Amino acid sequence: MNRSVSRFLTGAVAAAASLTLAFSPAHAAEKKDFKVAWSIYVGWMPWGYATDTGIVKKWADKYGITIEVKQFNDYVESINQYTAGAFDAVTLTNMDALSIPAAGGVDTTAVIVGDYSNGNDAIILKGKDKLEDIKGQTVNLVEFSVSHYLLARALESVKLAEKDVKVVNTSDADMASAYATPDVTAVATWKPIVSTILESPDAKLVYDSSSIPGEIIDLMAANTEVLKDNPKFGKALAGIWYDTMKALAEDKAAKEHMAKASGTDVAGFDDQLKTTKLFATPADAIAFTTGADIKAKSELVSTFLFDKALLGKDAKSAGAIGIEFPDKSVFGEKGNVKLRFDATYMQAAADGKL
Amino acid sequence: MRLINIKPDRTWTFALAVLPFLALLVAYLMGSAMRLAENPNDKLLPGFGAMAEAVKHMALQPDPRSGIYLMWNDTLSSLSLLLTALAVSTLIALVVGILIGLLPLVGATFGPVVAVASMVPPLALLPILFIIMGLGDAAKIALIVIGTALKLVRDVALRVKDLPREQIIKAQTLGASTWQIGTRVVLPQMLPRLIDAVRLELGPAWLFLIAAEAIAADAGLGYRIFLVRRYLAMDVIIPYVIWITLLAFLMDLALRLLQQKAFPWFAGARAA
Amino acid sequence: MTAIVFDKVWKEYGDHVVLERIELSIAPRSFVALVGPSGCGKTTFLRMLLGEEKPTRGQILVGGVPLKAEPGADRGVVFQRYSVFPHLTVLQNVIIGREFEESPLLGKLFGFRRREAEAEARKLLDAVGLKGHEDKYPAALSGGMQQRLALAQALNRKPKILLLDEPFGALDPGIRADIHVLIRRIWNENDLTVVMVTHDLSEAFRLGTRVIAFERPRNRPEELERYGATLDDVSVAEALSKAGASVTRDFDVWPKKVAAALPNGAAGAGAQLDLKLAPANDSQAPG
Repeated sequence: MNRSVSRFLTGAVAAAASLTLAFSPAHAAEKKDFKVAWSIYVGWMPWGYATDTGIVKKWADKYGITIEVKQFNDYVESINQYTAGAFDAVTLTNMDALSIPAAGGVDTTAVIVGDYSNGNDAIILKGKDKLEDIKGQTVNLVEFSVSHYLLARALESVKLAEKDVKVVNTSDADMASAYATPDVTAVATWKPIVSTILESPDAKLVYDSSSIPGEIIDLMAANTEVLKDNPKFGKALAGIWYDTMKALAEDKAAKEHMAKASGTDVAGFDDQLKTTKLFATPADAIAFTTGADIKAKSELVSTFLFDKALLGKDAKSAGAIGIEFPDKSVFGEKGNVKLRFDATYMQAAADGKL
Repeated sequence: MRLINIKPDRTWTFALAVLPFLALLVAYLMGSAMRLAENPNDKLLPGFGAMAEAVKHMALQPDPRSGIYLMWNDTLSSLSLLLTALAVSTLIALVVGILIGLLPLVGATFGPVVAVASMVPPLALLPILFIIMGLGDAAKIALIVIGTALKLVRDVALRVKDLPREQIIKAQTLGASTWQIGTRVVLPQMLPRLIDAVRLELGPAWLFLIAAEAIAADAGLGYRIFLVRRYLAMDVIIPYVIWITLLAFLMDLALRLLQQKAFPWFAGARAA
Repeated sequence: MTAIVFDKVWKEYGDHVVLERIELSIAPRSFVALVGPSGCGKTTFLRMLLGEEKPTRGQILVGGVPLKAEPGADRGVVFQRYSVFPHLTVLQNVIIGREFEESPLLGKLFGFRRREAEAEARKLLDAVGLKGHEDKYPAALSGGMQQRLALAQALNRKPKILLLDEPFGALDPGIRADIHVLIRRIWNENDLTVVMVTHDLSEAFRLGTRVIAFERPRNRPEELERYGATLDDVSVAEALSKAGASVTRDFDVWPKKVAAALPNGAAGAGAQLDLKLAPANDSQAPG
């Protein structure tokens, strides 16, 4: 290769290299502008309401910051965006917090423990009404999601294992129409899909998350470093949340707004709320978060994820990713704490110190 | 000198071709290094070591849960769907395309239907296909067939009509029947042209396959990508994307070579 | 013997009359050249004879039988281009006619019958000067060689009538002269009536036993649409003096060319090339 060619190539490559700066992750430091991602789910609908009615702006103004709240139609994409650093906080479940951002090395703190699923997630069989009948069947579900976890727990409860069934990964968007086809006989999914499927007369609910209360937890989680440098952001999130909880309890219009935004009516929304244990006050949430139960349940979730190799390929045990609880005790490796339950901001809300 | 007259010599041609690949590689490496320096567990831009490790897990070691080699299993599953569907499409295209192009009666009857149907966006049919044919392989094959066959049929029909009128007349003056014209004059001339058309449809075929696998599957290259996307495993996704690209490229190359070897007359006829 | 008779033939496309009241008979074993300017209807005339087009009125009789409106094996054809099949070798191009004839289902011959067909084809290829090119594809042949192949291909089916649609129009003059010798020999040695469309008058007079000129007698724009070309018979002397006039003419070419007698109908076998043909007809061509 002649000299000018190689010089040209070197120059061009250097130019390309300088462009990669655009790829570099956001550096945590004190800042004023924050971005929050959320997706449609009964326990997270308050975020949409709070944005539309100015509650978000009210609290952001109070702390002299701006908060941009973005709704995602695709739940997984919202978590991926958060993990990649494009958002400072995201709504997700404890299980996904562990397997996506935490396993990806993004230290994540649960600022608000909003609710746990208490029947919202369910396993439905076609024409069979005992969970034991699931043996040998093909189960359609979103693999590695809370539905998969629910299936694992359900099988355990009747002394079966995952090898006793065949799992087929199926998009949640197509779950209801999948159930309508003859060769789909068992599904594990969540509301409102569950309600739709149960409308067909042969659908029998055989197991739901009310049998494992407190294991599937819905959170508002933020990047730990961002939170450490900007406690105002955590306080604003807590302020927004409990203002909205109050509105949901007291204002009929608030519930109507959320019902409509989630594509149903008040009756349908109530049906979902019924199977969701929503912590209406900070005190309830703190009691749950600081209780002993949450540690044992976190271990169950970690064990499931470890079994599925979702804690990273190098993980040697279910405790490969440490989980810190409000009392600073840690499950798993203390040197690799990536998920933290922190009651500080909820406590401030309870104490009226926001 | 005008820009249109500046042509790279051989060294420059090579260098210019390599450049975008090299630039991409360097940009990736630097971006990856930067993110990994900040967070050694970063999943967005894994280093090549992590990707090699992931490929080793997926391709060279059996999966501890099921005992199968995931990447080969995925490849086999996807390729068998894709090749089955393409074979069906090709056969449909040859038979229907030649009939429409050669027989005015068939053309008048089915030409407009095919023209309209080929405008239906296949992905929009996916929910319907899943309900009619279930979530199994049949629906996936049907999606690829619908997505590719109609375009191939139109292409073949147009190319049959493009055959010089003189050839068809000549065959008749040599005493050929309609069947003989179809099988000895038209069909052999359509085969190499169909290879061109199939090469162009490879991209859409992969697209439909991956889209279908993303919605419901228990194996396949598209299935794996959309599954591991759930935990942002770019160390698996990126090698899979490269692998799919390589497979598609090799299929294209194989078709091109087949055309050269099996139809030696075609290059000359095309130039004429 | 296959005489061709055009019995009051009209050809119209909608309101547009292309050919008007053509009445004509062509004697067996004649070599008819059709000349005339572009759009005069000579190609339409040939296409009707080919069976590709149907007369609007009147009928065409071949050997006393009305012509079917589709091409058939009794009429061979060579076009200016695309007369041979690009996906077949030279040899395959020639035997395909025999294959169509003898194998209705597969259109292919095997074993003994194939060897027989190949031997016959090789003789023909030798006769048209393509010996040694048997395994080439047409794309590898020159334009002149492709036309020789097209002739061999057509002759292999032993048609009674050979239709030539400007067959030599795309060839260089030197090559054209060679192939003129060949076509004349073919005509001379086979039981064949040849009808050739050409725009080259010298070619028409050199090869033809009879030259038919097509012209539109009415040339006013409003008439062009409504009136087609016609034919008229005149003597050669008169024709020569009037060639190019607005009246359409039919010439018997002088001196008379007569095809050699065929020994007991065995086409081609042992017949000698008759080169006692009109030496310099070019000079008589007008314009």
